[in-house]
Amino acid sequence: MTDVTNFENKSMLSGAAQLFRAREHSIEVEARPLTDALPEPTIFNPPAPKRYYLYLMAPAIAVLAFISLYPFFWLIVMSLQSVDIGSSEWVGFRNYARLLKDPNFLSGWGLLLKYSAMCLFMQLAIGLMLAVIVNNHRYEKYLVTALLMPMMMAPAVAGLLWLFLYNGTFGWYHWILQSLGILDSASILASQSTSMYAIVFVDVWQWTPLITLIALAGLKKVPRDQLEANMVDGASPIRNFFAITLPNLYPVLLIAILLRFMDNFRFIDHILVLTGGGPGNSTKILPVYLFEVAFKFFKLGRGAAIALTLLIVTIVLGMILVRVFDKPQSERK
Amino acid sequence: MATVTLKNVWKYYGETPAVKDLNITCPDGSFVSILGPSGCGKSSTMRMLAGLEHISAGDVLFDEERINDLAPKDRDVAMVFENYALYPHKSVFENMANPLRLRKMDDSTIKDRVEAAGKLLEIDHLMERRPHELSGGQKQRVAIGRAIVREPKLFLFDEPIAHLDAKLRAHMRGEIKHLQKSLGTTMIYVTHDQLEALSMADYIAVMHDGELQQWGTPSEIYNHPVNAWVAGFVGEPAMNFLTCDLQGNGDKVHLSHKNFEIPLLSEQIKRLNGARKAKQARMGVRPDALSISMTDPGEPSIKGKIFVNELLGGDMLVEVELEDARIRVKTTPEFNGKPGDSCHLTVNRDKWHVFDSGDGHAYF
Repeated sequence: MTDVTNFENKSMLSGAAQLFRAREHSIEVEARPLTDALPEPTIFNPPAPKRYYLYLMAPAIAVLAFISLYPFFWLIVMSLQSVDIGSSEWVGFRNYARLLKDPNFLSGWGLLLKYSAMCLFMQLAIGLMLAVIVNNHRYEKYLVTALLMPMMMAPAVAGLLWLFLYNGTFGWYHWILQSLGILDSASILASQSTSMYAIVFVDVWQWTPLITLIALAGLKKVPRDQLEANMVDGASPIRNFFAITLPNLYPVLLIAILLRFMDNFRFIDHILVLTGGGPGNSTKILPVYLFEVAFKFFKLGRGAAIALTLLIVTIVLGMILVRVFDKPQSERK
Repeated sequence: MATVTLKNVWKYYGETPAVKDLNITCPDGSFVSILGPSGCGKSSTMRMLAGLEHISAGDVLFDEERINDLAPKDRDVAMVFENYALYPHKSVFENMANPLRLRKMDDSTIKDRVEAAGKLLEIDHLMERRPHELSGGQKQRVAIGRAIVREPKLFLFDEPIAHLDAKLRAHMRGEIKHLQKSLGTTMIYVTHDQLEALSMADYIAVMHDGELQQWGTPSEIYNHPVNAWVAGFVGEPAMNFLTCDLQGNGDKVHLSHKNFEIPLLSEQIKRLNGARKAKQARMGVRPDALSISMTDPGEPSIKGKIFVNELLGGDMLVEVELEDARIRVKTTPEFNGKPGDSCHLTVNRDKWHVFDSGDGHAYF
């Protein structure tokens, strides 16, 4: 077989070989349009004018503009002002300049990245593992139902639940950890060294099931014959998982990671209920700081500036993630 | 290279037996085809050989070694799947190199072997492509390439060319047969297409409902089917069956039907008398063992009326209407009978069969 895309060669082949070779062309060649043998219709049904669709969509666009576009632009304007209750003053980029010198802002970023990375890593690892264990298990249905329970709880309620479990006087976990000698007398949430991990633990507890659920859906679609081919080729089950299952899971894992990473940048229910950012500033991740600046101290201008930087970073990180994961399979080694 | 033996092998899915008491011995270096309709247990048999299915009962031996409990990776078999099962995220080269990489061979050996296989299968110019950039025929070659780089003990081909178009399928039949002969490795080839089995295999195992019906060379299967089911399944166009009465005794027995009365050959009478139970039997005769003429040939013949003529290029198939059935006859395109004309069919009695009307086993 020589160059299959070479069209000129085709005419030189004999009839039978031509038929055989026709199948050898890539799909693009076969999908090329053919001459239309039918006569052209004398009357065309005119397509509906584009404007018609615009009229239909107008109400939806108006609502969307009102609830999302208007506040978005207002946020940008506000970030350039010093806003107080009842008054506002144009300050240009002074809000942003101040942020760069604000230690809470910078440490907030650091803590946010650390928190988000820990949550994501643990949730992915545990979530995938659970999905593999549960997949095709005899009691799969019941196990999935049980696993999903934490996710069904409102985050604030979950926070309250764990506030009791961590409580230094009657909390279960406090008692267990102290009995095991891991913890000294300090309360879990009141210690700067443990409070962040305690919050990560709650987030992992509540949201790992989401990853499990998504990964489970992905596992069902891993082609069986590829797994079997790899087994016959000589792969062990673990090798098989990394060589076939995981690459097939990338697209669904991307969705899971995107969801969780954006949630970590937005949801602060657990932290507000459990520590409120303390002790000290040890759990004051950026969104918590933003909440404090904007809605406790009512520095709405500065709050808007923080929110905007948070938004931009979220978008950029999201785009990078999609790039990394969503490369067409042909480009990945 | 290995002799593959299946001893009293059973496969159960829950309570349902899919393979029943299967006994097969595939000689070393032979091309064995497992033939049967879908659901006959042929794929289950193959998957048990590959180690992808548990063997419910019985033993599978490669040479003298019992391999029931070996994992697929330790059996040293290579399999080609119906849907090719290529790894979409790997290039053609890496797809073919995968079994070698898993055996931790060094890079230069891998490169040599994959390139040699690529040349053999004429896909050496596609090495850097991904499976989604290949046509069906090319994918199929890559899948075969992945199997042959290993130099395994046994090839398992699970309907590998079922998804190709007819022209390419005919081409690949020859290529696969040639490949097997030049490599000399034992091959087990599962198919539902009797033409593939007849044209490629050294031995055919015909299966139906989980049971082995017949084991034999293609010509044995075609010319001496052991029962009516095998006779009807193998051969295209299919064998004609007619229910007839067995009349006469001793050395004069003839088959009697509303349209004809034809004596058996003396050799056939001997074989029939030993085993005969009923007065009735089913006669089976292939379309190419009949000849048609418009005039009375002067020997015992079947009288009928032409129902329809089908020209198949080099052959003509004539469907002839009898009192209670229609039978098909193969003749030359020059045949000039018209539908509605009455005609005479003479039977090549060396090539006809009589089956028991009860269990369908062949008397001859």
